[in-house]
Amino acid sequence: MSAEENRLVTMLNAGKNDTPCQTKTLGNFLWDDLPDATKWADCVHCGMCLEACPTYQETGQEQHSPRGRVYLIKSVAEGKIDVNEAFSKPVFDCLDCRACETACPADVQVGGLIEEARGQIRQAMPLTGFAGVLNKTLLRGIFPNLKRMKTLGGLMRFYQKSGIQRIARKTGLLNIMPTHLKDMESILPEVGKPVLGRYPEVVPAEGETKQRVGILTGCIMDVMFSDVNEATIRVLTHNGFEVGLPKQQGCCGALHVHAGDRETGKKLAKQNIEAFKDYDKILVNAAGCGCALKEYDELFRNDPEMLPLAEEFSAKIEDVSKFLYDNDFDRPKTEVKTKITYHDACHLAHGQGVRFEPRQLLKEIPGVEMVDLPDADRCCGSAGIYNLTHPEMAGALLDRKMDDIPKDVEMISMGNPGCMLQIAMGVQKHGRSEKVVHTVQLLDWAYEKDKEKLGKPVES
Amino acid sequence: MNRKKHRREKPDAVVQRLMNIVGEREVFYLKEDLISYECDGYTMSKGMPKAVVFVKSTEHVSAVVRCLNEEKIPYIARGAGTGLSGGATPLGGEVIISLVRMKRMLHLDLENRKAVVEPGFINLKLTQSISDKGYYYAPDPSSQYACTIGGNVAENSGGAHCLKYGVTTNHILGLEVVLPNGEVIEIGEEGIPDQPGYDLLGLLTGSEGTLGIVTKITVKVLKNPEGKKTVLAYYDDINDASQAVSEIIAAGIIPAALEMMDSIAIEGVESAAYPVGHPRDIAAFLLIEVDGIAAGIDDQIDEILTVCKHNNVREVKVAKDEAERGLWWANRKMGFGAMGAISPDYLVQDGVIPRTRLPEVLGKIAEISKKYELRIANIFHAGDGNLHPLILFDASIPGQSERAAKAGSECLKVCADVGGSITGEHGVGIEKSAEMRFIFSDAEMTAQTNIRAVFNPEDLLNPGKLFPQPGQCVEIKQAGQGDRSTVPVNAMGRGD
Ligand SMILES: Cc1cc2nc3c(=O)[nH]c(=O)nc-3n(C[C@H](O)[C@H](O)[C@H](O)COP(=O)(O)OP(=O)(O)OC[C@H]3O[C@@H](n4cnc5c(N)ncnc54)[C@H](O)[C@@H]3O)c2cc1C
Ligand code: SF4
Ligand code: SF4
Repeated sequence: MSAEENRLVTMLNAGKNDTPCQTKTLGNFLWDDLPDATKWADCVHCGMCLEACPTYQETGQEQHSPRGRVYLIKSVAEGKIDVNEAFSKPVFDCLDCRACETACPADVQVGGLIEEARGQIRQAMPLTGFAGVLNKTLLRGIFPNLKRMKTLGGLMRFYQKSGIQRIARKTGLLNIMPTHLKDMESILPEVGKPVLGRYPEVVPAEGETKQRVGILTGCIMDVMFSDVNEATIRVLTHNGFEVGLPKQQGCCGALHVHAGDRETGKKLAKQNIEAFKDYDKILVNAAGCGCALKEYDELFRNDPEMLPLAEEFSAKIEDVSKFLYDNDFDRPKTEVKTKITYHDACHLAHGQGVRFEPRQLLKEIPGVEMVDLPDADRCCGSAGIYNLTHPEMAGALLDRKMDDIPKDVEMISMGNPGCMLQIAMGVQKHGRSEKVVHTVQLLDWAYEKDKEKLGKPVES
Repeated sequence: MNRKKHRREKPDAVVQRLMNIVGEREVFYLKEDLISYECDGYTMSKGMPKAVVFVKSTEHVSAVVRCLNEEKIPYIARGAGTGLSGGATPLGGEVIISLVRMKRMLHLDLENRKAVVEPGFINLKLTQSISDKGYYYAPDPSSQYACTIGGNVAENSGGAHCLKYGVTTNHILGLEVVLPNGEVIEIGEEGIPDQPGYDLLGLLTGSEGTLGIVTKITVKVLKNPEGKKTVLAYYDDINDASQAVSEIIAAGIIPAALEMMDSIAIEGVESAAYPVGHPRDIAAFLLIEVDGIAAGIDDQIDEILTVCKHNNVREVKVAKDEAERGLWWANRKMGFGAMGAISPDYLVQDGVIPRTRLPEVLGKIAEISKKYELRIANIFHAGDGNLHPLILFDASIPGQSERAAKAGSECLKVCADVGGSITGEHGVGIEKSAEMRFIFSDAEMTAQTNIRAVFNPEDLLNPGKLFPQPGQCVEIKQAGQGDRSTVPVNAMGRGD
């Protein structure tokens, strides 16, 4: 069969010895959950996405560009190349930042396609070594399991509070860790206590209830940044929204899908769809999670039973800053004097098209002076756990981001915990002093100031 | 099928030599790393390169070229690979020399209004990096977000604004070039507009990477115009729209840009990333921009509005602010890529016609569309007669690619027959080498291939491009030669 004929042909290919439960293949894609041919069919090879792509900007290599990645994936489907190391590298070196999707005139879903290809690669070539361990313990073992996440959080809290952290840093115990992990350790935020389980399942609105919303507390967010979750709850209830925190919710699965583990991703998706079934609106304060939840329908593309449920669920997802802005949030009255810049998290700007609302929200806080960040929507290198798996590229992107951050701001605001960790690391590495905050936190402080001024006690 | 664990092939002797020059990590030779270099923005023709080499300096380029010369291995310079005629596409076995990492600005001299850049510098970046100082770089191909200035020089690229400001060749002051024997030459002398001797700058610009590899470029930068206004005019009849174009030019106005799109093209851009909300039932729109000294602009706009109305415009409006103007242009500049939103594949053609013959040419293109049962959209740099018919097809349906190629060639024939040319700005490359015979006689072609032989005697640099291959099967047509005076066609390929 010629390559061209192969292109869209899905042939029956049962009984291959190394693909036990497999019935269909597509060229050299031989495993379950085949990539979607219509996605590369949209690509006209124009190259308008090239310069948008951080990995292309760094390397200049076509195979490390969106166009090249799409072409490679298509080439496997056409049977021209195999699923092997050399194919896997460009596919896994993608940050999944979606900048290409913003640039692409033909609306090619590069991100979705790459995730599908990763699914194939992980089934073809299971991970070994450090990456394998990371994958197994973190992705399969900890993130999907909120109890273990909490335990991890508790351990980290113990590590920070008990003085072991100090000793570890002093004695050079940390030197046995790879540099990038060491950098990471040094900026671990003061770990708070997760809100899920600590707060009631329903937090009533202040005053009259406008609407009932559910919020995804997230796994990393709730362990590392429980203060952001607390701020989110306060801001929403202050604005008259009843906040639901369904206990059965889990990790959004983004990290798993990015890593090619679509099966765990689907399990988590099902869990969340079930957990939030009684809500009409689900708000997310972590851009990466929001984007993943909005794409559950993509995950169940080949599952006619789940697809309608997933579509219905995805339609309910909204970023918290956009929701607040669109719902006429209460404008704070007291001045919060600060100079601030805003970084566009990839999964907010490129993934969800939310750029205007968070900026506007910040601008409308009295006293806040916004300074533009050049190339604000270029990836900071965090990209999920990319900074753990690709420290070199992530480090280069972080350095560029830090160089761009205006010298005279006091705070850097954004809407994603991954970026917060990464940029906090940048602040430390570059000897800077800016405070890294979530957009909602700033609004929360402004409300707090209002309350102080009005003399009302502030609940914690 | 080989699904065994991937074994890394060993580099061969040539690849090893290249690695010794540029470093081991800068040379790629595995199939998986090469396959995305099979073609450029023109996907109808593909070939596997032997290797891809990333160079960082003129010395690298020179050493790599010398090595390949000794080894008798053909090679191709490549910028961003957005070319639309296969200029950077291998026929098979060439070494690709990628210039994208040579992307520094070496010198900026605003006082004398010039900048020196390396060939991999991205077109739009130049304007972006000087705009805060009130300057810009005029040639603005729609691919300017991604394409390199080296590629622009090789293709003599134009853009929406070249009606008033000219194409790349009008903005190049000097070049550093590595010749196919590895020697480095500088052409163009600063401050001397007309050097004695042959105009090598003109010859090199638009030579589609067949005479040498450009490693440094001195370009003119311009002061931002004081004012700028943009008009959008919707027409129910394409004849009215083209009449309006002619009358605007006849009135002595030289708009900075004068663009037209037909209804299928509008369907494309409205389905793509930057929809404007154009009415879907119009036959065409015109996008007209005037710029210059602020005082004169309003008068020109008034005159344009009058001409538009007089020619039965359905609706005409002036952009109310920079945001609206930006959206109109983003929408227009997405034109080609947007075809991906309404068709799996497209083939863009690049003819030049005398602008007064537009209605007739569009009529003939509609007939071609019917004949081959393929939809054809038209995007037209109306001011300078550069027509882009976009032939929509689906390569996965057997026979459609061939039909599209034939339809494309016939469109070019129509352009040549009305006294036009087969390329306005995208170059000849692989795609249109056969069609060169529509506009050049054998003697005219020989004069050109003789020049190539002087620079590139062994034809190792980008072989098989620009001119028909011996034995290449084409209908040899001398038609259209008679009326060539209407639209002078020069070696750089752009009429008008
Ligand atoms: C969506 C889209 C819109 C476009 N719009 C326009 C337009 O409006 N106007 C226009 O003119 N073109 C347009 N083009 C065509 C293309 O972008 C231009 O031809 C551009 O100049 C190519 O630049 P590149 O860096 O991509 O070159 P490449 O495609 O990499 O190379 C093009 C040719 O130049 C040669 N070359 C590249 N660099 C060098 C060098 N340093 N020295 C010597 N030879 C070299 C190559 O060998 C090849 O023959 C468009 C293309 C696309 C995909
Ligand atoms: S998602 Fe980001 S890194 Fe990946 S191809 Fe697109 S732009 Fe490049
Ligand atoms: S992904 Fe989009 S922008 Fe990139 S080459 Fe394909 S069509 Fe063009």
